Amino acid sequence: MNDIEVDSVTKRFEDIVAVDNLSMSVEKGELFGLLGPNGAGKSTLTKMISGRLHPTSGTIKVGKYSIQDDPMKVKELLGVVPQDIVLYDYLNAKENLSFYGRLYGLSGKKLKDRINELLQFTQLDEKAVKRHVSTYSGGMKRRVNIAAALLHEPQVLLLDEPTAGLDPQNKHALWEIIQSLKKQRKTIVLTTHMMDEAEELCDRVAIMDHGKIIALGSPSQLVKKVKMENTITVVPDKTSPTLIEQVKGIAGVKNVYTAPDENEKRETMKVITDCPDDILPDVVSTIVNTGTKVLSVQLSRVTLEDVFIMLTGRSLREE
Amino acid sequence: MSLKRSLNQIAAIAKTDFLGIVRNKTAIFFTLLFPLFFIIIIGFTFGQSGTEDMSRISIGVVNLDGELVAVNVTDSFNSTIGDMLVQGLENVNFTVTEYGEYGDRDTNGTAAYAISRGDIDAILIIPANFTETLTFQYTGNLDIPVATKSHLELYVDPTDTTGALITQQSALGFISGFIKEYQNIAIEQVMPDMKSYIEVLADPITISVSEAEVTEAKLQWIDYMVPGTLGLVLIWSGLNHASRTIATERTKGTFQRMIIAPVSPTVVLLGKLISALAIVYMSAFIMLLSGVLLFQANLYWDIPVMILAIFLGALSAIGIGLIISSFAKNEEAADSISVIISVPLQFFIGAFFPLSIMPPAAQAFGNALPFTKLVNAMQDVMTRNLPFDAVIPEMLYLAASGLILFTLGTIAYRIALKRL
Repeated sequence: MNDIEVDSVTKRFEDIVAVDNLSMSVEKGELFGLLGPNGAGKSTLTKMISGRLHPTSGTIKVGKYSIQDDPMKVKELLGVVPQDIVLYDYLNAKENLSFYGRLYGLSGKKLKDRINELLQFTQLDEKAVKRHVSTYSGGMKRRVNIAAALLHEPQVLLLDEPTAGLDPQNKHALWEIIQSLKKQRKTIVLTTHMMDEAEELCDRVAIMDHGKIIALGSPSQLVKKVKMENTITVVPDKTSPTLIEQVKGIAGVKNVYTAPDENEKRETMKVITDCPDDILPDVVSTIVNTGTKVLSVQLSRVTLEDVFIMLTGRSLREE
Repeated sequence: MSLKRSLNQIAAIAKTDFLGIVRNKTAIFFTLLFPLFFIIIIGFTFGQSGTEDMSRISIGVVNLDGELVAVNVTDSFNSTIGDMLVQGLENVNFTVTEYGEYGDRDTNGTAAYAISRGDIDAILIIPANFTETLTFQYTGNLDIPVATKSHLELYVDPTDTTGALITQQSALGFISGFIKEYQNIAIEQVMPDMKSYIEVLADPITISVSEAEVTEAKLQWIDYMVPGTLGLVLIWSGLNHASRTIATERTKGTFQRMIIAPVSPTVVLLGKLISALAIVYMSAFIMLLSGVLLFQANLYWDIPVMILAIFLGALSAIGIGLIISSFAKNEEAADSISVIISVPLQFFIGAFFPLSIMPPAAQAFGNALPFTKLVNAMQDVMTRNLPFDAVIPEMLYLAASGLILFTLGTIAYRIALKRL
C-alpha cells in the first residue's frame, strides 16, 4: 500500500517547468530519499505534497486523500520538518511544542503528554526546556524542530535536509532518530544533499533533475545500474608479469592492469573487484610476499555520488 | 473542522503573537513605550497649560516708587501703590524677583542681566512717581493737584516669542485688573457724586471673556491631550504591530510552517487580529493610566464607548498594517515603511496640535484620517462628557473606514499567501 502517490504531476511557473509530468509512489513505512541539484524540482515537489503549492496538472494523494480535494485531511496526515529551523526563538521548547500541537488540534492532557514524550526525544535537560530557543545549540534546535512535526503523530513525514549544518556527532544522533521513526513504520520522504545519509538511511532513492526523476531504486540498485567498478590502486616500487598474474589469481579479483605513472616514472597497478574491502589485505600481502615494496594503496569505491555525477553531470556538494 | 478546534488554534496564534511583542525589547519600545514617551515629554512640557497657576512665569520688578499713600486716600492704604502692585503679583502667584535697577545685560544683579540670561521672563518697571501721581499729590508748578497718568513699563524676552506672548498676556491681564480696582477706589474716595460719569468715561465699553460651561471642571491642556493620545496608540501599536507581524513570520519561516498545518488562513488572520487588538488595548490602558497618574488628567470614563471606538479605529490601523506587512519584502522593509508612514501621520490627527492651525490641504488630509475621528470622538466623550449620540458621526466614519481598510488588508494578506 502506498502512502504517497504522485501521478503525472506538472508544475509550471510561467515559462519554467519546475516539475515535469512526474509520477512516483512511496510505500507505507518506506524511507524514500529525494536527491537532486538545486533547481531540480525537489522543493517544488515537496511543497506540492505538503499543500503549499498547487500542481498545474496531475494528482497527488497522501494516504487515501487527494491534496487538491482534501487539503486539510492531508495536512493532518503529514508532519513537515523544514530545512531551516522554524521555531519561535522567544519561546522555550515547551511553548513552541505547545503552539504547534494546538495548531494540529491537540489540547489538554493529550497535548501535555505528547509534549513530555517529545521533550524526552529532544534530550533537552530541564533547564534547557525553560530557556528560550534562541539560546539553544544547532543540534538542540534541530531536535526541537523535528519534534514539532511529530506532535500529532503523523503517518507521513517530509524531512527537508534535516541534518544540514550539523557536526558529525549531532548528525549521527539525528540519523538514529530517523531510523527509530522508520521502525515505527512511519513513511518518510527525506530530501538530502548528503550521499552518505541517503545510502545509510534510505530504502529507495529518486534522483531528480530538470523536474524529472532520472533514476529510482535502492542505493545498491542505483550503484549497479552505473557501469563503474570498484578499484584498488596500488603503487609498488616495481612490477612484473609474474606479480600481475599472482594478483589476478586472488579470489574476487576480476582484472588487473597497469598504467604508467608519469610523475614517478613507475607503474601503477589497478585491481578491479566487486568486493574491495574483502580482498584488500590479500592484494597487499601477495605483493609484499614477492619482495616488492608497496609505496601507496588507494581504494576507490563506486558510491551514490558517482551515480549522481554520472547522471546529472554535477556534484551534489557543488550545489 | 470543529469550532472548538478553530478557537484553540486562534488562541494559540494570538498568544504566540502577543508574546512576540512582550518578549521583544525593540517591539516593546515601538509598540508601547514610544507613544508613552511622547505623552510624558509633551505632558511635562505643556500639560499644566490652561490653569491659573502663574508660578511658572517669573517677573523681575524694578520698583522705583517710594512715596507713601497719605493724602487723598484712607489710612488703610499705608503702603505705596507700587508695593501693592508687587504684592498683588505675588498674590496671584507670579514668581517675583525685585531688582534695584533695570541696568544693562553685562551688569550682574540688574534686571537686564537676569532677563538676558533667561533667569526671568519679563521686567516690570514701576516709576518713581507712581504713588504720587495716582493719589493726586502731584502738583507740578501749581498748588492744586494735577491729573497725571502714571506709566508702567513691561519688557519681555524677545528670544522666546511664544513665551513672551504668554508672559505679556498674563502680566497685562493682572495689571488691567489692578487698574480697575484702583479706579473703583479712587472714584469712590475722590468724587463719589460723579461716580457713574467717571466710570463710563474710564471704561466706555467693557467686555468680559469667560470660559463657557463646556465641562463641570476647569480644564488643562492635558485633559485634551490624553484622549488624543489614543490616536497615537492606534498608529504606534495597531499599525506598527500589524505591519510587523506577518512580515516577521514570513522572514523567519514560521508563517510557512503555520499554513502547512491544518489551519485555515482565516484562523491565522483572526489570531493575528486578536493579538493586535490586545496590544492596542494594553497600550491604550497604559497611556490613559499615565495621563491620570502622572498629570492628573481630569477625564470622564464612558468605557463601552471607548472600547467600541478603539476597536473601530484599530480595524483601520490593523488594515493598513496588514497591507504593509503583506507587500513588504521582509521584516526590515515592513518596519521602515511603517515608521515612514507613522511618524508624519501622528502630527495630522490633532493629538498634539489643533488641525485649525494647519494649512487647508493639511486640515483636509487630517480630517479624512480615521485616527483624527477617534481623537475627536474621544475628546468629546472623555473631556467634554458628551453622550454617545454626540459622537455617532465619528463612530460611523470609524466603522466605515475600519471595514474598508481591514477588507483591503485581508485581500493583501490573501495575495501574500499565494506568494509564499
